[in-house]
Amino acid sequence: MLKESLVSEFQKIVGKENVLTTPEALKAYSYDGTTSWIHEPDCVVFPKTTQEISEIMKIANAEKIPVTPRGGGTNVSGGSVPWLGGVVLCTTKMNTILKIDKENLTATVEPGVVLQDLTLKLAKEGLFFPPDPQSFLGATLGGIIAENAGGPACVKYGVTKQYILGLEVVFPDGRIANFGGRTLKNVVGYDLLHIFVSSEGTLGVITKAELKLNPIPPAKKTIMAVYAEIAMAGESVFRVLENGVIPGKIELLDNWVINRIEEMMPMGLPKDADAVLLFECDGIPEAVEKETEKIVEITKKYGATDVRVAKDVDEANKYWMARKAGFAAVFGKAPTVMAEDVTVPRGKIPEFIKRCRDLSKKYDVEMCILGHAGDGNLHPAILSDIKNKDLYERALKAMDGIIEGAVEFGGVLSGEHGIGLEKQKFFRRTMDPVAVDLMMKIKALLDPNNIMNPGKIWD
Amino acid sequence: MKDLKELKKIEKFADQCMKCGFCSFFCPVYQEEKVETAVARGKNYLIKLALKGEQEFTEEMADIIGKCLLCKRCAANCPSKTQIDRVVVGARAQMVKDKGLGFIKDFAFRKVMSNRKAFGRYVKLAKAFQWMLPKTEGNIRHLPDFLKALGQGRHIPNLAKTFLRDMVKPVYKPVNGEKPKMRVGFFMGCATDFVYPELGLKLIDFLTKRGIEVVVPESQNCCGAAIYFSGDFETGRMLAEENIKAFEGVDYVVTACGTCSSTLKDYQKYLPDNEDQQKRYEAFEKKIKDSTEFVIDVMKIPPEDFKLRKEFEGKTATWHDPCHLIRYQNIKEQPRAILKALKGLKYVEMPNADMCCGMGGSFSVYHYDLTKKIADKKMDGIKATGADIVVTACPGCMINLIDNALRNKMTQKVYHFLELVE
Ligand SMILES: Cc1cc2nc3c(=O)[nH]c(=O)nc-3n(C[C@H](O)[C@H](O)[C@H](O)COP(=O)(O)OP(=O)(O)OC[C@H]3O[C@@H](n4cnc5c(N)ncnc54)[C@H](O)[C@@H]3O)c2cc1C
Ligand code: SF4
Ligand code: SF4
Ligand code: SF4
Repeated sequence: MLKESLVSEFQKIVGKENVLTTPEALKAYSYDGTTSWIHEPDCVVFPKTTQEISEIMKIANAEKIPVTPRGGGTNVSGGSVPWLGGVVLCTTKMNTILKIDKENLTATVEPGVVLQDLTLKLAKEGLFFPPDPQSFLGATLGGIIAENAGGPACVKYGVTKQYILGLEVVFPDGRIANFGGRTLKNVVGYDLLHIFVSSEGTLGVITKAELKLNPIPPAKKTIMAVYAEIAMAGESVFRVLENGVIPGKIELLDNWVINRIEEMMPMGLPKDADAVLLFECDGIPEAVEKETEKIVEITKKYGATDVRVAKDVDEANKYWMARKAGFAAVFGKAPTVMAEDVTVPRGKIPEFIKRCRDLSKKYDVEMCILGHAGDGNLHPAILSDIKNKDLYERALKAMDGIIEGAVEFGGVLSGEHGIGLEKQKFFRRTMDPVAVDLMMKIKALLDPNNIMNPGKIWD
Repeated sequence: MKDLKELKKIEKFADQCMKCGFCSFFCPVYQEEKVETAVARGKNYLIKLALKGEQEFTEEMADIIGKCLLCKRCAANCPSKTQIDRVVVGARAQMVKDKGLGFIKDFAFRKVMSNRKAFGRYVKLAKAFQWMLPKTEGNIRHLPDFLKALGQGRHIPNLAKTFLRDMVKPVYKPVNGEKPKMRVGFFMGCATDFVYPELGLKLIDFLTKRGIEVVVPESQNCCGAAIYFSGDFETGRMLAEENIKAFEGVDYVVTACGTCSSTLKDYQKYLPDNEDQQKRYEAFEKKIKDSTEFVIDVMKIPPEDFKLRKEFEGKTATWHDPCHLIRYQNIKEQPRAILKALKGLKYVEMPNADMCCGMGGSFSVYHYDLTKKIADKKMDGIKATGADIVVTACPGCMINLIDNALRNKMTQKVYHFLELVE
């Protein structure tokens, strides 16, 4: 428990109404988007300025109290769960878009800005921020940067780290530092900026960010390719790319997911299909037309039984709604869902999918696959129930198998969700020991008292 | 083990939530408060703990589950279809069951009465009433929550000069004297009865002119929204039984209040305690039609057949979707179709047309500060359209829109869609 006197010090800094300590509030800050990680903080603090965060950190550092930064709490790795108690430092009230610079295609934001709010505001200026985690309705820029999030658009546009030009960060000792700037190019010294991208809140608190933007492409088209065999869908992904077409998005849904979506919101997806791929092309209209034709041609050549080009925005939206609902369809179906986040080199997608299906049979667990196939980032999900010991054990084994498989095929154990609590036990197994050693040293240097989101990443 | 009957009923809805956090974007309350206990995910989580016996119904809990507009915006956009409105109402019902009605109400009223700002609102409201109503006298006999609270602190201003129930006849035959096409019951509801009686007369007139027989049973009671939404299922059930009985033998029951129509339709969701009730309430639901849906879907009047009243010619109008129409009853296109087709009227869509105005029935009594903030966003949307008039179909929304338009010194006037047409 936190000392009373500390609570009142925090209250002095941020105001009484911005410190929560009731048992109900603490419970409401004990979880994130995962199903199996829960731990209550001792208090929740809502700062409004960088200065306030700096003062909070000074106190926490002196008293050696854990501080867990939190944005929207939508991560699915246990990242914002205050595993060792202490303070949850929630940025949701720091949510101002400070500047949109059309000339330089940049935006300056506070960490608590929700991605969708930014997207809507940018759209009015004809701009967009390409990283698109599918949690855009709840995820904040702070969380997105701390997790180096990405979504369907990564095939073509890359992930968050490619769009961060500058950061303001508060260190555990309260120092405020600025990294990077507002220029596209920057080779002044070591690239410290990117240590904070995907740091999962373990090195400091991101308090401001300079984002790189793109103009919104004038045309878009959605294509759905239907497959009788999921591995063929996997093959189509790299066939399309190797033929010189880089669509904005390539997403995969398997038969199980298709059918759950159809149960939830019937929209005429092919229920018999073993899998479908959704493509979106974007760019100037002529190019989009040509790319669409090419995708239709290639997917047909490589085994698609049916290829539909959405005739209008409504139909396209329907398909993307389905993709968005995919996650919900899975999570709503079992008490405990283990959603994997492995990423394999694209050429290995078919083999990897086959491995998943074998594991599902071997351990007799229900498993489905959906994901951002375009970048090899797949989310095989195992349906389980933590209360059913036998089933849970089998599910854990299958999950191990998935991760081992991914690593064996030259992939990584997390594509976008991060390590947090969820992937700790695999961390050292799949990471170069020298790299781990270096990371530990950086952590010790920046956070000698280990107060920043302790209990995460390292096992 | 405690009897968690009411919570058990909503367990399956609560279990739907996968904690994705999408609802935070849509919840008007969270958008202002930015804390997890305000959003559907947080409320749902705490209620699930209550189900497991790990969370008591403390005053803090009462406050948390009270701070919900029941606007259903979270549910409509929830990828897992978590029906948080039902979860919240179920939790309130359990609380009433465990602690008695007094716990919630007393607590709420204590808060209101000790809150000068909230108190000020009633004075304002009273002004708003005077502004839009003829001079009145007499006493209010029965009112929804917000007006009841108004009465606690000061002498209640009189509303309509004569209440609708004192003006209406039990039966209205079609004006053309022909055999009626159908027999329709008119459900008044408090707001139409006491504040906007002319709306009721208008609706009766509209229907009888088109060959419909309208009956207005004297024994009809309040729809019960404010009552069963705050968890008092017992009184709710009593009202349901009375209303169902009052409307036996009609083809449809029509109302001019979006809240009333949705409340009557939803008896079957909340109130049944046994299978017989379930069946009867479901049968009742099928008869209920909101005026906006009745004229288009049942009477099948083509939108272009509606005639604009003279005084609105040349005006620009925008439509506010009452939560109880758009999300509770899926009524979205019908009123728009009419407004767009009305010759002489220009229609503009407002940004955030479907966002709650902040009223939320008794919510605005207990959380007036929040209501104002939420309504300000609504007002921004209205201002952005440049419209002269705001049209809607729920007297509850009208009262709140008028209050906030006045507060924001706006020129826009608020009307019920029935007031626009001949
Ligand atoms: C339905 C669903 C779909 C998803 N889809 C995707 C997807 O497509 N791609 C993807 O990449 N992810 C996805 N995610 C995961 C998640 O949404 C992302 O990781 C997101 O970036 C988290 O943002 P947040 O604001 O919710 O952060 P939180 O969950 O609050 O925090 C995440 C991590 O960031 C840290 N953090 C938060 N704010 C700060 C800060 N200001 N400074 C320092 N550290 C901070 C926290 O300590 C924590 O470790 C999905 C999640 C859900 C539930
Ligand atoms: S209520 Fe729905 S939208 Fe909100 S967190 Fe739960 S599943 Fe997500
Ligand atoms: S019903 Fe409305 S106010 Fe209540 S949680 Fe949902 S969105 Fe928020
Ligand atoms: S909706 Fe409100 S005003 Fe209308 S009858 Fe129901 S409680 Fe009374």
